[in-house]
Order: sequence, then C-alpha cells, then structure tokens
Amino acid sequence: MNPIRDAWQSIFRRDPLSTDKGKSELVFLNVWLHIHPAKVKKENLKVKHTFYLGFITFYLFLILVTTGVALMFYYRPHPPQAYQDMKDLEYVVYLGTFLRNMHRWAAHGMVICVFLHMCRVFYTGSYKRPRQFNWVIGVFLFLLTLGLSFTGYLLPWDQLAFWAITVGTNIGSYAPLVGGRIRELLLGGHSVGESALLRFYVLHVAVLPSVMILLTMVHFWRVRKDGGLSRPVWKLKAESAAKVVTIGAPAEPAFRVVPASKDKTYGLMEVVTGKPIFETVSAEEEEDTVFSYPYAFFREAIALVATVISVMAVSLFWNAPLEEMANPVKTPNPAKAPWYFLGLQELVSHSALLGGVVVPALAVLALVAIPYLDPNPSRRPADRKWAIRAFAAFAIVNVVLIIIGTLFRGPGWALVPPWVHISGAE
Amino acid sequence: MNRRTFLNWGTAGIAALCAGVAVSLAAVVRFLTPSVFYEPPQMFKIGNAADFSFGPPTFLAEEKIFVFRDREKGFAIASAVCTHLGCTVGYFQTDGRFHCPCHGSVFGADGKVEHGPAPRPLEWFEVTLARDGQLSVDKDRVVPAAYRLMV
Ligand code: HEM
Ligand code: FES
Repeated sequence: MNPIRDAWQSIFRRDPLSTDKGKSELVFLNVWLHIHPAKVKKENLKVKHTFYLGFITFYLFLILVTTGVALMFYYRPHPPQAYQDMKDLEYVVYLGTFLRNMHRWAAHGMVICVFLHMCRVFYTGSYKRPRQFNWVIGVFLFLLTLGLSFTGYLLPWDQLAFWAITVGTNIGSYAPLVGGRIRELLLGGHSVGESALLRFYVLHVAVLPSVMILLTMVHFWRVRKDGGLSRPVWKLKAESAAKVVTIGAPAEPAFRVVPASKDKTYGLMEVVTGKPIFETVSAEEEEDTVFSYPYAFFREAIALVATVISVMAVSLFWNAPLEEMANPVKTPNPAKAPWYFLGLQELVSHSALLGGVVVPALAVLALVAIPYLDPNPSRRPADRKWAIRAFAAFAIVNVVLIIIGTLFRGPGWALVPPWVHISGAE
Repeated sequence: MNRRTFLNWGTAGIAALCAGVAVSLAAVVRFLTPSVFYEPPQMFKIGNAADFSFGPPTFLAEEKIFVFRDREKGFAIASAVCTHLGCTVGYFQTDGRFHCPCHGSVFGADGKVEHGPAPRPLEWFEVTLARDGQLSVDKDRVVPAAYRLMV
C-alpha cells in the first residue's frame, strides 16, 4: 500500500509514462493539447502573422480577472464607501496601488490589443470562409471588452468616473424609442447615483465577465475547428489562392441525410457529409509542421511572461488616476467620456442622434456583416487593395477622432492644442 | 403517433416555448425597472418666496435648477441640466444666457438653443405654492417657458 502514489494517481489518472498507454494519455488528457492540434504549421507560429495579439488580449483578460478579484476584497459598491475604498487601496492596503494600477493599465491595454487583433485579422483576410462566424464572435468580444471597460470606469466613484458615465449613458439615451428606457434600466434611476453604481458593479464583476469567458471559449474552439490559424498571407500564391480559400464548409448541397456507410468508422449524427471543413494538408506541407508541444506552447508562454512583465512595469511607474469624490453638483469643464468613447463624443458634439446612435450602430452592423458582404474569395493583400484601404480608413478615422477628443478638446469643448494652457479652467 | 399529431404537438410545443421566452424576457425587463428610486425626490420645496431676490436667477446646486423671480411676472424654474448630454449649465450675467461647459451649447434666457449641439431647449418645471406657504417644484411636470407663478 502506498498512499502517496494512490493520492497522486487519483489526481493524475494516467498510466505510468513507461507504458505506451501512459504516453498517449499524457497527450489525450491534457487540456492544452486539447485546445491545440497535436501539430501546427511552422509558418503559423511566425510573429509577423498574428503578432500574438489574440493571445496577448487573452492574457490581459487573465490579469484583469486576477487583479480584479483581489480588488473585490476591499471594494464596496456604494457611495461614498466606494471612493473611500479607492483611497484605502491607494494609501493603506498593502500592494493596493500596484494592484489597482495593474487592473487599470491592463484594461486600457486590452481595449487597444483587441482592436489591433481585429485589424490584423482583417488585414490577413482571416475572416473569410470558413472563419466568417468566428469573426462575428470576435465582434461581440470586442463590444464586451468595451462594455467591461465602461462599467469598470464608474467604480472608483470620483469626478472622472461620475461625469464620464453621465455623459456616456446620455449618449445612449439618444437611441430612438428605447434609448431613455435603456438608460433607466442601466442606471436604475434617472441619473447616476447609488443604484447605478451597484448595477455597474454587478455587470462588471459578474455578468459581463461570464459572457466574456463563454464567448472566448467558443472563439478558441472555432479557431481550432476552422482548421487552425489561417495561412500567413505571404504564403498565398497568386494562382492557387482561390483554391486555398474555397476549401471549407461544403458549399452546395450543404446537408444531406445519408445512412452511415459500412466503411465509416465514426459518424456525426449521420447527417454530415462531404469534405472535412478544415483545410486539407498536402504531403509537402506536412513537412512544415511541428509539434504544438513544445514549439507553440513555448512561444505562447513567452508572450504570457512578456505581457505580465510589461503590465507590472507600467504599473510600477504610473499610477491610475483618482480625482476628487464624485460631485453631481459640479461639472468639470470639459467633461469627457472614457478615451475609447471620445471618438464617439467627438461625433456627438456635432450631432447627438447621428454621432451617438446612427453612426455607431451602422459601424457595428458593418463589422458583423463584413465576412458575408465581402465577395472577394482571395486573401492576398494584392487582390484586396480596396478592402484594406477601406478598413484602414475606418481605423484611422477612429484613432484620429479619439486623439482629437483626448488631447485637443479644452473647456467648453473648444479646439485647444494640448500645449496651450488655459488659465482659469478647472 | 402519426405525422399529423407529431406536427401539431411540435408546433404547439414551439409556440409554448416562444411564449415562455417572451414572458421571461418581459419579466426580466420589469424586474430591472426600479420600483423605488433611491435618489433625490422629483418634487421638493425650495423655501419661501421672500428668500429669492429679483434680478438674476438663483442657482440651486443640489436640485440643479435656476429660480427666476420677476417683479411683474413672478416665479419660473429652469432646469440646469443641459439637454445635450446632461452636464450642468451656468447662467452668465454678462450676456444673460446659459452656457454648457461640456460641448459649448448656449441657451437663451428663455431656454432656447442658440448655439452648439443641444437638440432641445432647457426644460422649465412647474412651481406651485404649498400649503405652508413655501414654493414647491415638481421636476416631473414640464411646463412651457411662459409659465409663471405670481406670488
Ligand atoms: C476578448 C477578445 C479576443 C480574444 C481574447 C481573442 C483571442 C484570439 C486568439 C488567441 C486567436 C489565435 C490567434 C491570434 O493570436 O491571432 C484568435 C484568432 C482569431 N480572432 Fe480573436 N480574440 C478576441 C477578439 C476578436 C475580435 C474583436 C475579432 C474580429 C472582429 C476576432 C477574430 C478572430 C479570428 C477571425 C481569428 C482567426 C484568425 C486566423 O485564423 O488567422 N477576435 N483570437
Ligand atoms: S452636455 Fe451640454 S453641450 Fe454637451
């Protein structure tokens, strides 16, 4: 009798590695090797294909969950305690400032990285068949990321938070018919107050993260089911490009019920026929593959370590802002929404309905519809000059509007360059 | 079970499911709609008429209103909440207008938008005389800009 070995084997239910069964179980029972295929194409590991942006976004999310749970131990979602707790975190809680900084900077980083990830997926045309649906899931992940940042923004209950959310939720109330109602449901009242803080808190720590985790799992699962990452664009040859991308879910007679044949060793509910939906690998490409463990794992681990170290480093040197306690009576001048919504606010400062509702709604719709409206089967950048230009224009307009809103808007929303100081402005 | 019964029951089942989902959704929306508001009341007293001077309006910060008192016309209450995105406007004696600090909307003395992105004029609220002789304001009752209470 060996209790230690018994205990060990009750946790790791695997035969000893000296046996063949144990060796294969090491692979089959490993959740990471379940998410990854056993082998991946070497070219897909190249940094210049993905910049590992999807991974970095995910790692930032992990950092946010960890530091966020830590902050929850010291945070009460009710005014004025919420603000006092922020002060406590800053001055009396051991590592409080550092954890708060990490949470704040990782959140900003995640918004940036998810946007860049989306740009890279667009640039490489990776939303095309068979990956259309994963792009759509991605758009929802993007919106969720914004939603998490926005709900988190109110929690410190300082002037910045209060007025950003006041202005931000008022933008939403311009939606015709339902706008005012949505605002009331979100705030639990007519204005930003204690009910709003509680609701934002629940959304921020429970509802939105759960949905995020769920969709992230679907997202990863689809990457795998869509045949792993797309081929890097520099590997796409002009003449065969069309062929490469048309492999995918069977185009016509989509589903046909057939009885399972005798030579089939497995079935998928006896309804799925046709070619496998993943890209088939030819013999010559087979040579270009490497085992996921250790090659892919190692690179992903490096990205993880680099992400964590970067966030920690930034958090050592820059503190998350905390202004005076929220004061509904005093509007700071200018009052600004969180930076990623300043492009929106810029539009809203010209026309609330057009800029706050029509343009963003059309933008989201367009993003969702991209994979279904783009008629071009080729993924080569040379074949999709106009698509790339259009998307680049979209991205640049966004960035420029955000920069104007952040740096060039002074008191009274007047155009003021950041290097000019206005005396008398609060 | 034959084909017809199967389809009938199937249709009924799906209809029931849809109805169930619709009812649940309505319940969720109703659940989230607050029945009690933990915020300053919409209707409140602001003091006696004699507390307010003639001339430029008095700004009540907590209530976010301006109290106008005119010798001939009487009392009027203007909302200080900008109709654009909800910042608090200020009354400038120099030009007799309301200016919003957030995106530069300017409202005339009668609340009409004169400049900037605000889509609607400032609101005016009903003011009445309570039994105890105090002025009472009801923010749920929006009145035309010409509304006055003569005391
Ligand atoms: C929380 C946000 C997100 C996370 C954590 C995430 C994570 C990932 C990861 C880890 C990958 C693997 C490859 C890589 O690193 O690029 C990936 C691929 C992909 N992502 Fe995301 N993603 C997110 C948001 C998005 C968004 C906003 C879009 C687009 C609108 C998107 C569309 C895709 C597509 C289509 C692929 C497959 C790319 C290919 O096959 O080359 N994702 N994602
Ligand atoms: S909130 Fe007053 S102008 Fe925007």
